[in-house]
Amino acid sequence: MKISFTLNGRATVVDADQDRRVVDLLREDLGLTGTKESCGTGECGACTILVDGESRLSCLMLASQLEGRAITTIEGIAPEGKAAGDVQEAFVAHGAVQCGFCTPGMILAVHDLLRRDRAPDRARIREAISGNLCRCTGYQKIVDAVCAVVSGRNGAAGGTRGGR
Amino acid sequence: MNVFVPEEMDGLWDILAKEPDAALYAGGTDLLVRLRTGIPSPSALVCLERIAGLRGIRDEGDRVFIGACTTHTELLESGLVGDALPILQKAARLLGSPPIRNMGTIGGNICTASPAGDTLPPLYLADGEVEIESRAGARRVGIDRFIIGPGLTALGKGEVVSGIRVKKGMEYNVHHFEKVGQRKASAISIASLAALVKTDASGAIVKVRLAWGSVGPLVVTMPEVEKALAGRPLTVETLRSVHHMVERGVSPISDIRAGEEYRRRVAANILLRLATYGPAI
Amino acid sequence: MKIGESVPRHDGSSKATGRERYAADYYGSDFLWAGVKRAGIPHGRLLRIDAEDARRLPGVVSVLTHADVPGPNRQGIIRQDQPVLADGKIRQCGDAVALVLARDRQTLKKAVDSIRVRAEPVQGVFDMEAALAPGAPLVHEDWPSGNLLRHVAVTKGKGGSGLDLCDAVVEFSFETPRQEHAFLETQAGWAFSDEAGKIVIIASTQTPFRDRLEVARALGLDPDRLRVVAPYLGGAFGGKDGLTVQALLALAVLKSEGRPVKMWWDREESFLAGVKRLPARMYYRLGARSDGAMTALACRLYFDAGPYAGLAGEIMTMAVEHAGGPYRIPHVQADGFCVYTNNPASGPFRGFGVPQAASAMEQAVDLLAEKLRMDPVELRMRNLLAPGDRNSIGVAMVHSTFAEECLSTLAGHPLWKDREAWKRSAGRFKRRGVGIACLSHAMGYPKDVPDRAGAKIELTTDGTIRVYAGVSDMGQGNAATYLQIAGHVLDQDADQLELVLPDTERTLPCGSASASRCTYVYGNALIEAAATLRSRVLEAASRLFPCAAGELALVPGGVLRRTTAETLPLSRVSAALSGERSVECFYQAPVAEEDSGVIYLGPHAIFSYGAHLVRVEVDELTGAVEVKDYLAVTDAGRVINPVLFEGQIEGAIAQGLGYGLTEQFSMEEGAIRSTSLATYTVPTALDVPDVTSLSVGRAEETGPFGMKGAGEIAVSGPFPAVANAVAQALGVRVKAGPLTAERLLLAQLDGPGGPQGDAP
Repeated sequence: MKISFTLNGRATVVDADQDRRVVDLLREDLGLTGTKESCGTGECGACTILVDGESRLSCLMLASQLEGRAITTIEGIAPEGKAAGDVQEAFVAHGAVQCGFCTPGMILAVHDLLRRDRAPDRARIREAISGNLCRCTGYQKIVDAVCAVVSGRNGAAGGTRGGR
Repeated sequence: MNVFVPEEMDGLWDILAKEPDAALYAGGTDLLVRLRTGIPSPSALVCLERIAGLRGIRDEGDRVFIGACTTHTELLESGLVGDALPILQKAARLLGSPPIRNMGTIGGNICTASPAGDTLPPLYLADGEVEIESRAGARRVGIDRFIIGPGLTALGKGEVVSGIRVKKGMEYNVHHFEKVGQRKASAISIASLAALVKTDASGAIVKVRLAWGSVGPLVVTMPEVEKALAGRPLTVETLRSVHHMVERGVSPISDIRAGEEYRRRVAANILLRLATYGPAI
Repeated sequence: MKIGESVPRHDGSSKATGRERYAADYYGSDFLWAGVKRAGIPHGRLLRIDAEDARRLPGVVSVLTHADVPGPNRQGIIRQDQPVLADGKIRQCGDAVALVLARDRQTLKKAVDSIRVRAEPVQGVFDMEAALAPGAPLVHEDWPSGNLLRHVAVTKGKGGSGLDLCDAVVEFSFETPRQEHAFLETQAGWAFSDEAGKIVIIASTQTPFRDRLEVARALGLDPDRLRVVAPYLGGAFGGKDGLTVQALLALAVLKSEGRPVKMWWDREESFLAGVKRLPARMYYRLGARSDGAMTALACRLYFDAGPYAGLAGEIMTMAVEHAGGPYRIPHVQADGFCVYTNNPASGPFRGFGVPQAASAMEQAVDLLAEKLRMDPVELRMRNLLAPGDRNSIGVAMVHSTFAEECLSTLAGHPLWKDREAWKRSAGRFKRRGVGIACLSHAMGYPKDVPDRAGAKIELTTDGTIRVYAGVSDMGQGNAATYLQIAGHVLDQDADQLELVLPDTERTLPCGSASASRCTYVYGNALIEAAATLRSRVLEAASRLFPCAAGELALVPGGVLRRTTAETLPLSRVSAALSGERSVECFYQAPVAEEDSGVIYLGPHAIFSYGAHLVRVEVDELTGAVEVKDYLAVTDAGRVINPVLFEGQIEGAIAQGLGYGLTEQFSMEEGAIRSTSLATYTVPTALDVPDVTSLSVGRAEETGPFGMKGAGEIAVSGPFPAVANAVAQALGVRVKAGPLTAERLLLAQLDGPGGPQGDAP
């Protein structure tokens, strides 16, 4: 079946089985391996993408559901013309990336949060990423990175590490 | 396998007529996980998420109508639900995780009819009435008669749950929900308690409604316990006096998450938490 | 780029933008998919494999069984007792029985599901002590000591009879659970045959060099016919220390008619077939004089290997070596037993036996403190190893030993000092406790296993510095640290530095990415190689200018002649160096002076230390534990990169908290029932607090820039610290972990002496 949707800002048409999982369509058919799979049952968040701006799990979404939607993957999260967005840069700067396998999903979960809440505190940040498992970092530096993004976006001089 | 994504109810009826053995889903957070095991294996899938007629939250005076495809995130962001039935938001907040809440729907939670469904105890307390539509028309069934067993509902072929109608809970000044799980997010409930309490100026219980989740094949309500509490002060002593009734009133199982004895004890214990709304010691 | 700075890791960007490719991320239109049919019963005699339906499915290229395996069909690091594909006997539910090659994943799944394994079930053993009893069913009929894989015994001083010298003796037994690594990237790899007929395996592995030898031996191949490449791993923590997909991929490639083959275990298979942390049962008797001097320890430790030797005996041995913790105990008798069972195979997991021992010992220490009516900090401080002291297996601490500094830092911290007021202000239905644990963790390999690494560094023709690092980076950041070291020695920035990840054809053998050795051993080799390259560069530059060497300084991208401010680009120096552009250097870590006979494989020489504090709140109504505060003080030498160091401590603590509190397998007669992340619950961001991580920061003289291992030390702290805190909060101590709400609530109800609980 031909499916038309917007992918990372570009009009895209794919020919796929209706029941093909979106995570497989992205990774195998479109070569976008930034979206990861780690459980296939909605428990880990590694497959998180944005659908019309909202975070969803691509392992629990089927190709037919893509029609007409605007999909954003990690490959498309950076602003036009830039290599990386502020969330990505903060992750790198604050040690929020270790093995990196949870990182794409985690970054997209953060984007969903910041769209809804401009100034989340540490507890709110932890709640927002509670659907993204990380086995390496213990989450602390991820929270630090998001705090730095919040400071940066809300005009505080130089994002500080923590906010504790 | 075909996956239909109708945009209108009329389109839905056409599909269901042609594919009577299709499985329906909205967010897919239950069905698509179960499909992975090969059980069930439907002939087709129908995704309901785009049907506008199944979305939306409506103020109906003394009741609120919540469209079946309302996501848990939408429930959490609804000012109407926040004013009318905060207990439902408290439960939705603890359900799954943020992306699961973005995808999962109240209709899905009802139709999956898991004994551990987080929104179910509050819906029982709000005297939820499930609205069911088919090409032939609409009917209403109380949620306590709609869910008939673990994973079993009174939904017939060619029918779809279109929403649930709940009574506003403003008369109650305490809206309490507690969920016991293996961890603080992404946890299937081991035991849960929803409570609506109306207290008077002295802190005595005027009226109380209680519903437990995950401690029986269905949501457990205990009118005898509610009666025993009415008129008494909202204190640990009062709540402890019905402890044995609660332990006897639940019928939990032992499963991969917890044992029966723990579930029984904790179901009775978490009732004591209501004392935190009573007079300070 | 300087040592001591929190230089952002160079792989951070590619990971944060989704560009970095892991083993699981390679696809090709000509790829075949390989998948395994697993036994499904814990113990049995293999009769028949019915695979005809699978073979007939369109899209199935072949179905392989033991009959198709060349060579001995036996893998294993120390003892080759594990078939690549089962033959004759089945010893665990996860045993690989058949290997299917198919054109796509859906066909693969259908084919694997259609295969029937016909086996005659045989009575299995699932309990360690039952496995050791006379007449128990044997997991390996050919093993001379029945189900006892290995017994290690250490006697120091008077051994167990030293307890007679004690004024106070405590007895404590504790059982620790199986733990799943739950790395986000499950076991994955792909392989192909190159033009020369070499089998190239790209796998998520901690041990590319050893894999090559192990696969060659298992399949009767010449190791030179194999090449193994390790991209960045999406987590490993010991679970990819050894063969997972590698031998199966090599076998598949032999039969794939020239097509590349990919294997990627889904989460369910990872649960079923991946190795787990060894469960342990430990019996301790610890005694002291009335003045608090620890005097004697007698302990027996039982470790469950599952059906294959793997590294289980070595893990049990490490536990025995650490059984007495970081303390000075003159009389010790420590016996370790590693047992074969038909439970799922056990293997390395961060900590390698030390978390198990620490969880028992540190609780015993608290019990001893109570019996002596001493403060738990005071009792530990009285007995912590100081430089020159002998540890519980009699080895002298001649390297950096800052255990006391760790504990005194903890004792001076407000989290400890204001603990009584904090405990008293618990809310309704909450009980608070504060627990501590002191830790040690040996770095590197034991004495008899040469701990060696080869570093290669090259000035490329483009003028960049290329570091060839054969140590896998599983997220800990050792690759970034190597570049930081190279950058520091050669005064270069990130733009001038590049890294070649482990590749048995391009990088030198370095040993495994394990044992907290990744930065120390390779780092020392790299420093020397980089220093040599630096001299060559400066010398060549002084000839090129020409000028005196003293006028020159290395700057990013070039050599600066200070007197004239001219800079010579490194590419020009590279041309001048020609064949001398590349330097190789090997380093071997120092070993203990004591005789290898002290303990199996010999003792360790260098230890890291830690002191942990946790503040918990237990809910009286549900039994649930909330970790409110956590403090970790670590002696891992000087810190090369503070952010990377903290990341290791924070991450290890999160894993330790999961181990102690929320991670539980449901098992039934050798079969794992928890096969998803929904039922095996690792901590989410809401389940762990912010951690305060402090470093003593004093140099280990032999270490690269004064550092020593930091990857594992912190994982052993949470379980005992939490157990001690909970015992304080509830007045009851449980006999087994994890400390789930269920276990604690039932223990509270049973009270001291009941089935769940012991008197505190």
